[in-house]
Amino acid sequence: MHLRTRKIIDRSATGIGILAIVVMTAALVVLLAPIFANGTGAFVFRGTAEFRKYQSDRFDRGDREVLTTEKETLRQVRQPVYDLLHKFEHQLKNDDDLDARFGAEFPKLKREVYRLIGPPPGEALSRLERDEYGATRWDRALVQADSIVHVQEDRGLDSHGFSLKVEGPRAARYKGTSLEPMFGYVEMHLAELLRPQWTFYPQFLIDNPQDANFFGGIGPAVLGTIYLTLGAILFAVPMGVITAIYLVEYAGQGRFISLLRTCISTLAGVPSIVFGLFGLAFFINTIHVSPSKSVLAGSLTLGLLILPTIIRASEEALRAVPLAYKEAALSLGAGQWRTILTVILPAALPGILTGIIISMGRAAGETAPIIFTAAVSVGLGVKPWEVFTSPTQALSWNIYNVSTEHEAVDQIRHVQYGMVLTLVVLVLALNLTAVLLRARITRRLSG
Amino acid sequence: MSTSKRSNRFLGWTLALVATVAAALVVSSVSVAEETKAPAGKIVCDGSTTVGPIAKAFADYFMKQTGVNVTVGESGSGNGAKSLINGTCDIGNMSRFMKETEFKAAVEKGVMPVATVIAMDGVCLIVHPSNPIKALTTDQVKGIYTGKIKKWSEIGGPDADIVIISRDTNSGTYETFAEKVLKEEKIASGVEYVTSNGAIRARVQNTPAAVGYVGLAFTTDGVKALEINGVMPTKRTIATGKYPVARPLFMFTNGYPKLGSPLHEFVTLYLTKKGQDIIDSVGFVPVTNYE
Repeated sequence: MHLRTRKIIDRSATGIGILAIVVMTAALVVLLAPIFANGTGAFVFRGTAEFRKYQSDRFDRGDREVLTTEKETLRQVRQPVYDLLHKFEHQLKNDDDLDARFGAEFPKLKREVYRLIGPPPGEALSRLERDEYGATRWDRALVQADSIVHVQEDRGLDSHGFSLKVEGPRAARYKGTSLEPMFGYVEMHLAELLRPQWTFYPQFLIDNPQDANFFGGIGPAVLGTIYLTLGAILFAVPMGVITAIYLVEYAGQGRFISLLRTCISTLAGVPSIVFGLFGLAFFINTIHVSPSKSVLAGSLTLGLLILPTIIRASEEALRAVPLAYKEAALSLGAGQWRTILTVILPAALPGILTGIIISMGRAAGETAPIIFTAAVSVGLGVKPWEVFTSPTQALSWNIYNVSTEHEAVDQIRHVQYGMVLTLVVLVLALNLTAVLLRARITRRLSG
Repeated sequence: MSTSKRSNRFLGWTLALVATVAAALVVSSVSVAEETKAPAGKIVCDGSTTVGPIAKAFADYFMKQTGVNVTVGESGSGNGAKSLINGTCDIGNMSRFMKETEFKAAVEKGVMPVATVIAMDGVCLIVHPSNPIKALTTDQVKGIYTGKIKKWSEIGGPDADIVIISRDTNSGTYETFAEKVLKEEKIASGVEYVTSNGAIRARVQNTPAAVGYVGLAFTTDGVKALEINGVMPTKRTIATGKYPVARPLFMFTNGYPKLGSPLHEFVTLYLTKKGQDIIDSVGFVPVTNYE
């Protein structure tokens, strides 16, 4: 009886364990699958002729001759659309009746059409790049075309009193006017108007964003994240490891020391935004490490943030070194400092490295500490000698920026996902390095 | 033996790291001593999320024209003022004028804030497109935000509780709204505060019963702007002063920028044809001769 109860408890514990792992794996898949699926869309997608034109104009990429021929073909396919728009615009000017019906709506429609297939040469609605080119991605083009061909119409109210919106063809609204054929034409010839092709755009990682992320890549943000992470490590690792050595090898059990330990634990629990505000108030406004927000100020702040983790990891690693190692070294006549350097530190290295690399992942992903100390939403890539004075873009902050504050969030989804994927892969790669490095060093030390 | 070699290498690494950090600190302190202002060839902007689209488009254009690196941070007008006062930015973008306390703090730190009005904007009330409400009066808006009006049906709308979205108190849009619409009455508790124009729009886009307020450039894409006191917020009604909650957008600098400097060129970009063009196309109202 007794044994049976124990068995049941045993089995249910195993069951719960397995269940937990299954749930965790499922959560991971649910979280990561969309990131990978959508994120790759920033690199591999069906690019339209507008994309190739932009790449050629701005970055001088692609085969000129092919593009010139393509431009000519496109001109012929697009001309009827432009002609219909111009004709209708002309009629609007001369017909008050028509103007009363479509005067307010037509300019918007024209803008939408230009955003789909690009304006005719020399007729851009503004000199913002987003108005000089049409849809660069086929997925965006389909959405854009839909908003031209269809229109939301009110169909009375629902039971709560909200309007019911029904999608109807816009052509019906323009029935009998000279513009009516345009809608059918755009719908029928969409592929010829934009000529989508599968495109691999690895330069997304290094290109500067253009016109508020409507075009180009995320180069400065990737670079900024790398700078900030390395900077934080440069600052936190020496401090952290030395502190840990002191705490383990030199510090006694006094009241002050235990207070110090409590402080370090507390530091680990301080919310990251507090570090951000501290960084602003201390590094920038009080000791003026840089004239404005800068990579340096951000790195120092991030360094502080990961310092407790590094101290803790190093401490644990140092403590885990068997006492016999130390005793052997001391008995051979080595001094304490020499013992630490030649015996204890190497043995503790795998643990310390793991702590460092996991902290790197944390530093790369943190947003709050850099909002006030380093991050900006627009700016060129920072050159190595500018890190002391220049603020930078950074993936974590720019993800937040382009998905909430940006003026056209819906139109740049691919950039958001691309940034998220890049950041996740970066952190994943760091963690993987930690695992491999640890395995390698452990093997070498034991061998 | 090999252990000691490894540890020497480790020591070398550690020393290299320490040396780098030390070098970094030395260099940075030198550069601070040299010049407290940001050096030429770089312009740092910080502040309003409403001014953000203009500043970003200006920056993009300016960088392509001159090669000067322009960075734009968007953290709210209050932060723009603070950064300027602390000397950590060249331009504080603000969607409201500086407060007296901020001026005082600036002058105490030897900063002389100079305002440049770069564009006009209106604070626009937005609702979900499926909300049949088309117009409100300022009194009704005040009623909603102070909690006196709780349901859309009280003002002729659908039978649903109003979900009220507001900007955070760091925002210039919030200040303008509080001053011109709420007349300094307190906002009701239970109001949702968000930190940018874009975030308000996103909330309203996805919430049929929501109401929020944003700058004119954010009234597109899936939200519906309301008439206030019978006036629709458009570029024309804002330019002519008919729209009741119009306001100027500012770039604040420390003193007048030196004539011919990149900063001067950037701050006066709004006076050029191209600058006006940019302001117009990101959705705000250029200040001169708007037709």
